[in-house]
This record gives sequence, C-alpha cells and structure tokens, in this order.
Amino acid sequence: MAHKKFPVEVLTPEGEAFSDEVEMVSTKTMLGSIGLLANHEPVLATLAPGELRIYRTESEIVRFAQAEGYLQFAGNRALLLVEEALRPDQLERSELEGKLATARSTAESAQEGSEERATALREVRRYEAFLAVGQ
Amino acid sequence: MATSQRDVRNRIAAVKNIQKITRAMEMVAAARLRRAEQRIEALRPYAGAIRRMTRTAAKAAGYVPSVPILEEHEQTRSVGLLLVAGDRGLAGAFNSNVVRAGVAAAREHREQGRELVYFASGRRAASSLSFRGMEPAASFIGFTDRPAYADARRIAERLMSAYVDGEVDRVEVFYNSYISAMSQVVRRETLLPLAEATLLESPAEEEAEEQEGGSGPRGSVEYEPDPEAVLQRLVPDYVKLSIFRALLESTASEHGARMTAMRNASENAGTLIGDLTLQMNRARQAEITQEIMEVVAGAEGLG
Repeated sequence: MAHKKFPVEVLTPEGEAFSDEVEMVSTKTMLGSIGLLANHEPVLATLAPGELRIYRTESEIVRFAQAEGYLQFAGNRALLLVEEALRPDQLERSELEGKLATARSTAESAQEGSEERATALREVRRYEAFLAVGQ
Repeated sequence: MATSQRDVRNRIAAVKNIQKITRAMEMVAAARLRRAEQRIEALRPYAGAIRRMTRTAAKAAGYVPSVPILEEHEQTRSVGLLLVAGDRGLAGAFNSNVVRAGVAAAREHREQGRELVYFASGRRAASSLSFRGMEPAASFIGFTDRPAYADARRIAERLMSAYVDGEVDRVEVFYNSYISAMSQVVRRETLLPLAEATLLESPAEEEAEEQEGGSGPRGSVEYEPDPEAVLQRLVPDYVKLSIFRALLESTASEHGARMTAMRNASENAGTLIGDLTLQMNRARQAEITQEIMEVVAGAEGLG
C-alpha cells in the first residue's frame, strides 16, 4: 500500500545530502526512534547518532549514518539538520575503529564530570553508531 | 664572451622552468579557490536553518537556559588563542599575517597579566608558534585544503572543554576572512564566552522569510525532549559553525593568496626573462662587433 508523499530535506554544513518527496522517514532521536509519515503533527526534536532511513517507496530505501542533529516537521515538510550524513559506502571501517579507540581512551583518562570526558563520550556514541550502520 | 652568453642562456632556461611551475600552481589554486567558494555557499542554508530553529525554540522556551559557554568567567586570568593558518606556504603573507596578529594580541594580554594558551589550526600556525617558543596546547593539521565539519567540531569541542573546565577564561580566534581572491583581511573574534545576542540576532532577509512563512499555529509544536533542552543543544552549534566558517574562509583566502602570489611570481619571471634576453642579445651583438673590428683591423694591416 502506497503512502502519501511529503517533501524531506536533509541539510549538513557541507551541503544538501538529500531532498525529495518520500513516503516515510525513520530516524533516531535522543529519546528513541521516530517514524514520520505525511501530515505528521509539528515536531522539533534533537537527533542522536544512528541510522536515518528515507523510504522513497516501501521498497526503495535511502540509508544514511547520521551524526547529532535536529528534526523539524512543520507544514507537512520534514527538515533534518545533521552535522554529518554519510552513505553507508562512505564509511571507512578501519578509520572509524581508530577514532573510536582514541575517543574511548580519552574518555577513560579524562576527569570524571569534565567537559572533556562528556565530549569524548559523545564521540564514542557517534562512532559506535556509524560502525553499526556500516555493518 | 661566449661563456657569459651560455650563462645567460642557462639562466633564461631556469627562469622559464620556474615560470611554468608558478603558472601551474596559479591554475591549481584558482580551481581550488572556486571549490572553496562553493563550500562557503553550501554552508549558508544549514547555518540559516540553525538560526531559525534557535529563535523558534527560544520563543517557545521564553528564555535562554543557562549554558556554561554563555556564562562569562568572573576573572579573565587565562586566554586561549586559536590561530587559523594553512598547512603549506607559498601563499604570500597569508600565514604570516595571522601569526603576526596572534603574537601582537598575545603581547597585549601578557601586559595585562594574563596567561596564554595557544591552539593552532594548520601546520604553518603550529610551526610558527613552536618556533617562537609559544608551544600550542593542541594543533589541528592536515585538512586546511578541504576542511570538513568534523574538523571544525573537533577544534570547537576542544576549545569549549577548555573553557568549561576552566583551562581558559576566554577564547579568541584569528583567521584570514575571505573578501575576494585579491584581498583577505585578518579577523580577530571572541569565540568564548559566546555572546547571548549572537543567538537571537537575525539577518534582515531571514526575518522577512519568517514573517511570510508563518509556520502554522504556534504552540502546537511538540518538542522532544523540550524547548530548553533543544536550545541547550543548539548553543554549542554556534561555536562549531563559527569555527567551520573561519576554516572555510581561511581555505578560500589561502587559495586566493596563493593564486595572487603565483601570478605575481609568473609576471616577475616574465620580466626577468625579458631582461635576460636583452642582456644576451647585447652580449652577442658586442661579440659580433668585436669580430668585425678584428677583421677590419686585420684587413687594414695587410693593406
């Protein structure tokens, strides 16, 4: 069964990652997962690193690894602002694993409660999420 | 005589080779400059959307929640200076202008009894600082040709940690702001503490857009988790975006400066080739004249 389509735009600081009419968007927010269909109620949410799936149709799915960001749904349009939106084939496994290891050791050596530690932990979550999408 | 002619000919050949290299570098820089300009353009929609979202969330929250990077420290004992330069040289005064501005600011701060912590972006900034005995606390290198947002985030997060954890009480950034290929101006900006005013300021064109866009019934928006939390997340983005913008402008400036420097070098080589050719022709003419005079003198002697 085909759903009604609605416009979705994915913007990153390095340019537009996606823009088209689609049937559904599913992504990860700070609180959990969210799925958007046309005529969703207006929402402004913070996004967590994870997998972003855009369903052009039920079978044609565009996947991204998203970094932290925001989701705004208003006037039957979805706008996703993410720091990074990488296609699964753009993910370099070995590079990500290296960064993850560095972030983990920084998190361990940083002082409890410091901003340095909080930053490193955010990085750990981001690279873990990227690696999971790349699998 | 013959040897000096050969010397001059060799020099001309050498200068011509250099000219070929400087011309090629000029063209490479021009191509990279175009790409860097496009990347500055590409940032605009994202940055605009972040600003709009901040205003929307601030309206819904009714106030700006307390975020450590917005709070001024009671005393400014220690200042962090971030110098944004390039990884490579041969770009005129591009690198040295930033370093000079940073060093002058460091002197000012020191006269007021403040400690300094240096941060370098670009190999040239890092090496210039080390050379002056101003060892950077952190150097970020290897991306100045094409900075990614992840690079800006890494720098921003290091600086914000330094500010929040009390390593520094203020952060200033120095970079070449891009005006045109011919002109770059070193800018000095206070990055931290972030001024609350920058969060809510809106360029005139965005204001107009918002008025006509009138995004439906207000207040019915569902926030996840809530407007305050969204705002708290948005605030550090301003620092990341400022740094990303500085990196992009610096990259465009670097390519612009290199293009101009290489064009000047090519032109100078052209002038030099002209002078040397003239010199060679004079030497050859003098030699011929000499020979004729010798022949004539010889003929007269016989007659």
